[in-house]
Amino acid sequence: MERNDNQFSGGRRYKNDDITVYWKPSACVHASYCYRELLEVFDPSRRPWVDMNGSTTEKIIEVVNLCPTEALAWKWNDEEKNESVGSDQLNHIKFRRPELMNSIDADSKEQPVSVKIMADGPIVIKGNFTLLYNGIKKEVCDSMISICRCGVSDHMPFCDGQHRKAGFID
Amino acid sequence: MEENKENKSQAIIEVLDFGPLKITGNFLLKDLKRGKEDSPGEIKLCICGKSGNKPYCDESHKK
Repeated sequence: MERNDNQFSGGRRYKNDDITVYWKPSACVHASYCYRELLEVFDPSRRPWVDMNGSTTEKIIEVVNLCPTEALAWKWNDEEKNESVGSDQLNHIKFRRPELMNSIDADSKEQPVSVKIMADGPIVIKGNFTLLYNGIKKEVCDSMISICRCGVSDHMPFCDGQHRKAGFID
Repeated sequence: MEENKENKSQAIIEVLDFGPLKITGNFLLKDLKRGKEDSPGEIKLCICGKSGNKPYCDESHKK
């Protein structure tokens, strides 16, 4: 694997055949779930500290989902599988780091922006667009965001998954 | 991966103060629950949860 391939803005990423795990050190609060639960994969004394061959994909996903911050997040390498990931997968990048949901085809730059109204859920917006909120202007490039539609999110305007608990039905 | 950094923004997504989400430009709207697909060019979507005409804004946020 090429060295640059391991890096992304804000951290590093680690792959096996099925998934990619993203690590953002600045977000870590050292809750220590990762290495207590799965030292074979997450060993802070080793370099690189993440060994994706240390366990099964299923177990790695389970432990990444325990991370209480966005320090660890994951996605399927098969982009299509990411579309249907449910909000029970707490640390999927769709929920934790939506800016990392990169589209795989570079030809998508002039494609219409995809705006999906999820059933009883958020508005999922994907593509190249300009986002304006709270006086902030953000150019979103080949990426995905999720906007709250129930009005209950603690991270307005972004969805934080609370619509399920709130029983939002549209 | 980062070789083409040129941004070609296709649409403007704006969270209006105390109001709906306004979307203008080149976008494709898919309403998964109602099975509708459309490219309206401009739209206002409810994000307060109060609209009686979801997913669209019906100004209920003002009430």
